[in-house]
Amino acid sequence: MIWLEGVSYLRAGSPALADVTLGVSFGEMVVVHGLTGSGKSSLLAVAAGARAPDSGAVWIAEHNIVGLQASSLPYVRRNIGYLPSEPLLIPDETVLENIMLALAVRGEPIDSAEADARETLAMVADSAWENRLARSLSTGQQRLVALARALVGPPSLVVVDEPAAGMGGDDREGIVRALVWARERGCAVLCATSDPGFSQMLVDAGGRRVHLESGRIAGAPSIGLVPAPVHFAGQSEREIAESSQAIRSSARRSSGEESS
Amino acid sequence: MLALVSGVTVLGLRATRGWIGTVGQGVHVIAFLRDEMEPDQATQLTDLLRRRPGVASVRLVEPAEALVRLRDAARLSPAAGSWLNDLEPGYFPRSIEVALAASADLPQRAAELSRRLRGVAGVAGVDAMTDGVARLGAWVRFGQRLGWAVVLAAGIAALSFLVGTVLRGREARRRQAKVLVILGETAASIRLPGNIALAAAGLLGALAAMLVLRLAWPALLTTVEGALGIAPTPVGFFLASWESAVGLLAAPMLGWVLGYVSTPVSGWGDA
Repeated sequence: MIWLEGVSYLRAGSPALADVTLGVSFGEMVVVHGLTGSGKSSLLAVAAGARAPDSGAVWIAEHNIVGLQASSLPYVRRNIGYLPSEPLLIPDETVLENIMLALAVRGEPIDSAEADARETLAMVADSAWENRLARSLSTGQQRLVALARALVGPPSLVVVDEPAAGMGGDDREGIVRALVWARERGCAVLCATSDPGFSQMLVDAGGRRVHLESGRIAGAPSIGLVPAPVHFAGQSEREIAESSQAIRSSARRSSGEESS
Repeated sequence: MLALVSGVTVLGLRATRGWIGTVGQGVHVIAFLRDEMEPDQATQLTDLLRRRPGVASVRLVEPAEALVRLRDAARLSPAAGSWLNDLEPGYFPRSIEVALAASADLPQRAAELSRRLRGVAGVAGVDAMTDGVARLGAWVRFGQRLGWAVVLAAGIAALSFLVGTVLRGREARRRQAKVLVILGETAASIRLPGNIALAAAGLLGALAAMLVLRLAWPALLTTVEGALGIAPTPVGFFLASWESAVGLLAAPMLGWVLGYVSTPVSGWGDA
């Protein structure tokens, strides 16, 4: 699971995130919905280990990655399927090679990596693209291929930023199916979107929505207890439950203060 | 290219030193001795000059030898007449011929020695051979400056080409590295292909440069010496073993470093 606790992040001197606490458990899909500039991309970048928060902690599978040495971060990122706001592909490699790259970094053999990549490409996009060079694809097609690369495996944590940006109806449904596929395989899925329609589609598929406004969570934060963050280690189940209740109460008070 | 420039520089300096030694072997100062100077005094003066710093060789030339030299030189000239046969050694004074060690300030040293010898009792006259020595010094200085200018220009061209090669495509490699960082690849693994490729290119380049030098340098040296009218110098035409080893080590190391520089990898917080 992933647990962001009190995360704040400055972008170009301005606060992009302010004291965000959010958790996603294995087998859960959380949709972060917010307008442009609300801090969605920053939140997902921090969750994916691509940005260091200015304060707070980011727990991924009982490790606070903020305290990790830079040389250890690659080993964390290998377990995260991340689709950033810009779908970075290697232009001179084929679609299949781009998707297989994620598995190659994890050490998967070529044969099984190729099979997994083909299966994921067929699920997310179109198998006919596999031998096309990435630079020959449109922006939307590149985004689908980047999504396939994020989902292939699948990894323990999937973090996708605006996966359906600029997509039509059929593609959006396919993306929802793909994210549900990952969730059903036990992944923790964190998805950000500014599209209300796509957000609702994910909620209808079983996702839980939180609203991000000006870098703050407007809705109640998710608190996953399986597995518990390390700082709860040593406490009894009753103590953990009391701590969790205190956090929930604090979050409700914050929400109440913001709505009033 | 850098290996070739380096090799040419080393071999060129070696050849130039050899040329300087060869062309500088002529006599630079001749001191003609008075008849009344005793033979042992002449010998003492010769020994004293040999011990002087910057002196390559000193010879005491007796009149008989001077006459023989003149007759030998005359045989080569169609204008020489039979009157040479009537000359006797007594017509020629004893002389001390001094050859100075080759250097860029040779004319100045020749002039200084000439001035001192003129003040020595028993020396009738001194020929500093100024014109020839001055010309020699000028050619040596010109040759050295020209050589360094050529090496500098070639070195700059090679470095510019190398830097241009490294910079070209750097942005594309940065983007590719960014993708790999997101996927969880380590910085060392991202740079490794570039490191290996450029190290191999460096090694191949050094080997190619050594091959070109081995094949082309002797012919080039012969051509230049012929154009300058210099007798072939006994200069080793190729690099020493340790020089070759240094080159074969330095080139791939430089390639490895350039591979590192040519692939910018973003770190934590900048993926």
